Amino acid sequence: MKPSFLPEPMAAQPWRVIIPLTLLTFFGAAVLYSAAGGSFQPFASSQLIRYFIFLILALVASYMPQHIVKMAAFPIYGAVVLLLFGVEAVGAIGGGSQRWLNIGPLVLQPSELMKPAIVLVLAQFYHSLPPGMTGSWRALIPAGVLLAVPMALVMAQPDLGTSLAIAFGGIVVMFMAGLPMKWFIGGGVAGLIAVPLAFFFGLEEYQQRRVTTFLDPESDPLGAGYHITQSKIAIGSGGLFGKGFGNGTQSHLNYLPEPHTDFVFATMAEEWGLLGGLAVLLIFGLVLRWGMNVSRRAPDRFSSLLAGGMTATIFFYVAINLMMVMGLAPVVGIPLPFMSHGGSSMMTNMICVGTIMMVDRWSQSTQSSGFR
Amino acid sequence: MTSLTASAALSKGRGQLVHIRQHSLLTARLRLLLVIAGFTLVALAALLRLTYIGFVQPAPQTRSLAEALLPSRGEITDRNGAPLARAFPAYALWYNPKAMGDSGSPLVKSPEKVAARLKAIFPDLDEKQVAEQLAKGKAGYLRRRVLPEEANQVHEIGEVALELPQETDRYYPQGNMAAHVLGYVAADGHGRVGMEQVLDKVLTDPATRGTPQKLSIDMRVQGALEDELRRGMLMVDAVGAAGIVLDVDTGEVMALASLPEFDPNKIDAAGEKNMFNRVTNQVYELGSTFKPLSVAAAIDAGVVTDLSKRYQSRKPIAIGGFHIRDSHPMGDTLNVPEALIHSSNIVTAQIADELGPKRLKKTMADLGMNERPYIELPARGFPIWQKSDWGRLRGMTVSYGHGIAVTPLHLASAYAAMVNGGIWRPATLHKLGPGEAPRGRRVFKASTSARMNQLLRMIAVFGTGRNADAPGFRVGGKTGSAEKPGNGGYRHHTLVSTFAAAFPMDKPRYVVIAMLDEPKGTQASSYQRTAAWNAAPIVGRLVPRIGPMLGVKPDSSRDIDLSDLRPLVHGGE
Repeated sequence: MKPSFLPEPMAAQPWRVIIPLTLLTFFGAAVLYSAAGGSFQPFASSQLIRYFIFLILALVASYMPQHIVKMAAFPIYGAVVLLLFGVEAVGAIGGGSQRWLNIGPLVLQPSELMKPAIVLVLAQFYHSLPPGMTGSWRALIPAGVLLAVPMALVMAQPDLGTSLAIAFGGIVVMFMAGLPMKWFIGGGVAGLIAVPLAFFFGLEEYQQRRVTTFLDPESDPLGAGYHITQSKIAIGSGGLFGKGFGNGTQSHLNYLPEPHTDFVFATMAEEWGLLGGLAVLLIFGLVLRWGMNVSRRAPDRFSSLLAGGMTATIFFYVAINLMMVMGLAPVVGIPLPFMSHGGSSMMTNMICVGTIMMVDRWSQSTQSSGFR
Repeated sequence: MTSLTASAALSKGRGQLVHIRQHSLLTARLRLLLVIAGFTLVALAALLRLTYIGFVQPAPQTRSLAEALLPSRGEITDRNGAPLARAFPAYALWYNPKAMGDSGSPLVKSPEKVAARLKAIFPDLDEKQVAEQLAKGKAGYLRRRVLPEEANQVHEIGEVALELPQETDRYYPQGNMAAHVLGYVAADGHGRVGMEQVLDKVLTDPATRGTPQKLSIDMRVQGALEDELRRGMLMVDAVGAAGIVLDVDTGEVMALASLPEFDPNKIDAAGEKNMFNRVTNQVYELGSTFKPLSVAAAIDAGVVTDLSKRYQSRKPIAIGGFHIRDSHPMGDTLNVPEALIHSSNIVTAQIADELGPKRLKKTMADLGMNERPYIELPARGFPIWQKSDWGRLRGMTVSYGHGIAVTPLHLASAYAAMVNGGIWRPATLHKLGPGEAPRGRRVFKASTSARMNQLLRMIAVFGTGRNADAPGFRVGGKTGSAEKPGNGGYRHHTLVSTFAAAFPMDKPRYVVIAMLDEPKGTQASSYQRTAAWNAAPIVGRLVPRIGPMLGVKPDSSRDIDLSDLRPLVHGGE
């Protein structure tokens, strides 16, 4: 497994995820370079710098021992919930909604932090729950509250996409924790009933329009369906090999909205074609497979749930973004990890990656300590 | 402390706790696999979707800016780039009862009042009908074409429901000119009748409609041809006329006219009646104009070797209960040049009989007389052509242009082959660049063609074509006056008069055909109905007009050498 010619600290790094991720980020930077009209400013350079800073931070953080992480789980969750309340309070005082807090020079988006935090706290919760109680209500109600509070706060911002991302991470952890299957089925049925209700009473008008547009984008190709239609034109016009690096007309001529953030995949697919799209899917597949393998090999329930939940959170970003860009999901403003330009999504995803690396290290140390 | 592996748990025996732990571990594994399966499914869906978008799904209709700047329908120009048909922005008057956007009445004033206001702007409007349409509240055109000034006045009525959408109209700046060549664009946006129909795809395709389509037509020649044809037609009170100017070396049609014509800018019932194209669609027995073709076939086959050989021309030829006569007595005997100059049916029939119907038929077929004429236009008439073997009588009648009916275009192509050195080429309405002319097929030997040029010139100098002999233009040609078939035989006073000509005969460049349908004897034609008096003068007036445009300058010091044939004809010393 570990090449012997590398010095121990080098060989101890999880290269099988670092290499694909770095490749992906460089590819993303190339796309951003093209989207900026052949310039490293303003997207590509900042994206690369951010990636390497967060990568180093993640590698450092992955040396964190397990007992500290377990201890910190509830305090971290509590702190992020407080920050979310803070956002609401500032928004209420300042008038108008907002999603971030300005703490000195730092711009913080607590809802982003909540995505890994909810996974962490639920993993800790199910870890501390005696296995015999997983089928009882005591496995559900506290977890439900832990999940519902941040969801409600984020929904109130209003930020449907992030709220759903938090829910997804939490529900995957609950699912893997082994809650009875009938609850999920029941929940699914309830969801099917609740969706129409939520659509008509819970969504803002602009969100409603996004959903109806998703269902029939051609009904209004120049209005609400513009995003999806242009995105599909961009992907479709790429063909097999794409138009070539720097030759994408959809992005350069501003037909494609948000060519460097949410729709970066369409920008890429126009210039690199289906092959570029397959390459991106393949790399994400490698990264996610690594995450799931770490979860599978994890030495205990906490580690397994933590790694699985973090992988699910990354997966949610990737899946929703790709489906949105391809017209399979409504436009919900979720960026593509490691490719879309943006700091907070990079941070969240690197926290997830770093946590999985951490779990990987735990399982390696258990194995190498000769426990078995 | 909780990191017990399964094997460690097993070694502890089968306690209840262990059982639950093992069970939950299994559940966890299973759940993890389920999650992975879910991920994989979504990944597969994304993959399929990606492939679908890239390859299966047709790209949504995109209109680029460049495309929006193109005309909605491509331009048609003549060979020199003068516009013959172009897109023209215009207004229409459209009634949109929903324009007010509420459920109330679509109009502010009463329908009758609005109709009255409209009537004041458009005096020819049917006020009652419009008022009815307005009252009914059904959307529709009130008027297809509105001038900008009228549009302003409609605007001043102040009715939101009266909309003035801008539409692009097809405009033919030359009016009626070349109407049969161009055709028109119907309300559905597609071309009809002429090149508008032929080129419909090219003219509407965004990739090609930016470049004007050049026709072979020369607008100036077309104008002159139509002018002279109309004049000739009106002078002898003919029901119709047809004319064509054809480049003998390329097959390009320089001008093509069928009268009476229609106005492609304004299609009405009267215009629709005139859409029939006499040049390419109507077949006629073109009479004596066929004689040079038959003589050429005989010379080419070696049947006529001595032009001074004399044939009897007094007795009508009786064959199969049918008598071949001449229109007037021409003496006892005629040689070949004299027979053509005086247009003798009797002599031509004897030559054709010597040639034999089989060889004559083959030559006629080589000249394309057995199929529809070669031209792009959609309406092309099929000749009346006997497919089975020709008997002696058929051969004889065809030799002077009876028992075979073709379009004037057939005749023009055949004459082009006869005078250009013997090569038959299909006619075309597309402008051909250098080297684009089709190779064609050889019908006559070059020597035959040279001889025929002499003979055609002699007809114009000494014979029935004298009225076409424009000074200095070295015109050669043959008249043809055929009786039109009617009920129970030919009608003696209903003729089709044709003059088939070429010029300049020392180096033929263009074939000109002028044909009059049912000319009457008027003072202008000295009360004659035959081609020498009505069709030949048209060519005589036309050639001096179009010659300089086509690069043929009048030159009285040049002519085809007739010195070897001149002694053969009476009056030619």
